[in-house]
Amino acid sequence: MQAASATGVLSHLSRLEVHARSRKTEPQQRSRVTELKAAAEQLRMRREQLRAEVETHKNLQKLRTSMDKRREDKEGEEGMDEDSEDSELLRLMARHTQLNDLLYAHHIIGGYDAIKTRQGQGLCLSLPTAYDGVFLETYNLEIDVKPAPRIARHNIPPFIPLSDLVEQSDMKTDIRAFLDTLSQHLNAFSGRKQQLKLVKELHKSVEVMESNALCSILVMMVTVPNEKTAILCTLDYTDHTRCLPTRVHFECNGKPLADSPDWDTNRSLLLETPVHKALSTMRRMGNIV
Amino acid sequence: MDDSTRRFLQRLIRRIPAQMLKTTLDKWGRLTAAQKQSMDFTEPKWAFTERLLDICEENGWTWKHITELEMTYVIDNPNQGMWYAFQLMDPEDDAHSVELTHFKEQFKSHLSELARPVSVKMKKHADEAIWIRIAWGDSFSRPNHQKPTYVVHHLQTPYVFVTSLTSKQKPLLSQALVLSTRHQAIKDASLSGRKLGAIRDLLMRQYQQVFPTSYPSPLAERNETVSNPQIEKEQAKSAENRLQMACEAFGDGMLPQLQSSVYKLETKFKDHTNKTMTEREEPFRCVVKFASTNLLESLRHCASSGIASTPVTPLLSSIPLKGRNYFIIKDNGPGPSSQTRQTQN
Repeated sequence: MQAASATGVLSHLSRLEVHARSRKTEPQQRSRVTELKAAAEQLRMRREQLRAEVETHKNLQKLRTSMDKRREDKEGEEGMDEDSEDSELLRLMARHTQLNDLLYAHHIIGGYDAIKTRQGQGLCLSLPTAYDGVFLETYNLEIDVKPAPRIARHNIPPFIPLSDLVEQSDMKTDIRAFLDTLSQHLNAFSGRKQQLKLVKELHKSVEVMESNALCSILVMMVTVPNEKTAILCTLDYTDHTRCLPTRVHFECNGKPLADSPDWDTNRSLLLETPVHKALSTMRRMGNIV
Repeated sequence: MDDSTRRFLQRLIRRIPAQMLKTTLDKWGRLTAAQKQSMDFTEPKWAFTERLLDICEENGWTWKHITELEMTYVIDNPNQGMWYAFQLMDPEDDAHSVELTHFKEQFKSHLSELARPVSVKMKKHADEAIWIRIAWGDSFSRPNHQKPTYVVHHLQTPYVFVTSLTSKQKPLLSQALVLSTRHQAIKDASLSGRKLGAIRDLLMRQYQQVFPTSYPSPLAERNETVSNPQIEKEQAKSAENRLQMACEAFGDGMLPQLQSSVYKLETKFKDHTNKTMTEREEPFRCVVKFASTNLLESLRHCASSGIASTPVTPLLSSIPLKGRNYFIIKDNGPGPSSQTRQTQN
């Protein structure tokens, strides 16, 4: 009798145990299934999205080729008579890509606009500057052509060595070389200025201690996490035709920082990538706050 | 604190307008929160000054601190007195890599050697400008803080702006500047004005200049005040041309505020109806001065409304083009020619 009651209790216990265990695994399986179903649904939606994008892109290409051809043939017809919103949007997008390509073509042939002024006695040139795909200031030069080419008027800032560049190149025979060098200086200056602006905007934990009008020197204070020590980073941009520094120097409490693999990485980052991107990488790697 | 310091502080507080007192003292940053609380900015100035003097005694402040307060006030309100522009010439090879601490040290040491005793305070403002306050002394007296000279310079640019400088002090300051910025000479830029920002913007070309473009003129587009489409302006085209030429000569939008332009003529008198004057051998010396609250704006308006003929005469367009407002005109062949004032140093 004892055995029977023991089996009864034991079997009851074991049944309860099995029940409890099955309750644990079943919901797990159920949640796993729903997870997978949700993922499949998301992937299906993404596939639909991508299909729609590919479709739009194909239509855009078709429209674009027909627009370009129409420009070449100089026909005055307006194709695409459907007045739906979609085709209007598509037409705008095609025009946008056309303008972007035009701007890029203009940029790679030098990007200078030149127009004649004063009945051919003057020439006005404009030099656009851009950095990282963003157009920045445009600078202008007004040149007297006779008796010898000479700059009459300009809006180039005084710390760009304009008179030196004029002396170095012969404006009469090779004005293109002069413009290319000047454009290099101006683009590099705009690039450095933009990088400084981005550092101030994006990296509030980094304090800019010193900079100058030419943006050829940058001194920043960064903080090391954990130890909370402040490190002074000096970036020297001695080559004014480049956007990257030629020398990076770290100092802690007035003394140069001891060599360490972390700071060697930081140094090469600052030498090889634009300063705002280098700082982001350094933060991601945990080297600075 | 001795008597002269007390009097200096009293005069300084009298000079600062009541509405700027609080902000100036906050920027100065020397008062503790408790002391700031105890000051009553609504009471009359003499009572306020007494309270401030007591705080200064408490904290044991000296000339150094009070002149700091004056410098804070002047940096925020520079448009008092006349500012003169100077230009550094012939940079050495390392002029473009002069950096801040180096410049500060060099300037202080050179000026102290040249003009002993002298009290120099330097401060870098947020917009990359270095402000220098100089109190001059001589072999008989300590530096005179009542008449300080203020100098503003942006490194790597050739321009220096100075106010309250006597002719005796000028060569000393020039020498110190030339040595510390690694240039070979400094000359008078023939530009002066009451507003520091205006003469600085003019020289650094920080205003909107207009250049001829092949695209439809943005000026014409912006000035379209078409009130009634039935009204047609007869001379719209020539008005547009005048506006374009006026803006090309002077600039667009807000122009730097100059107060005057002086032309010193040393040309022969030319008037056929007046034989006595024309027969004279010596040139007829005459000074023409244009004055206005905003000279460039007035000249631009003269040109665009047709009062002055367009294209704008180089006598007027030289003001923004060459960045100067003092010209000497001599008879040097056909047409007027302008020369700089005799170079300093």
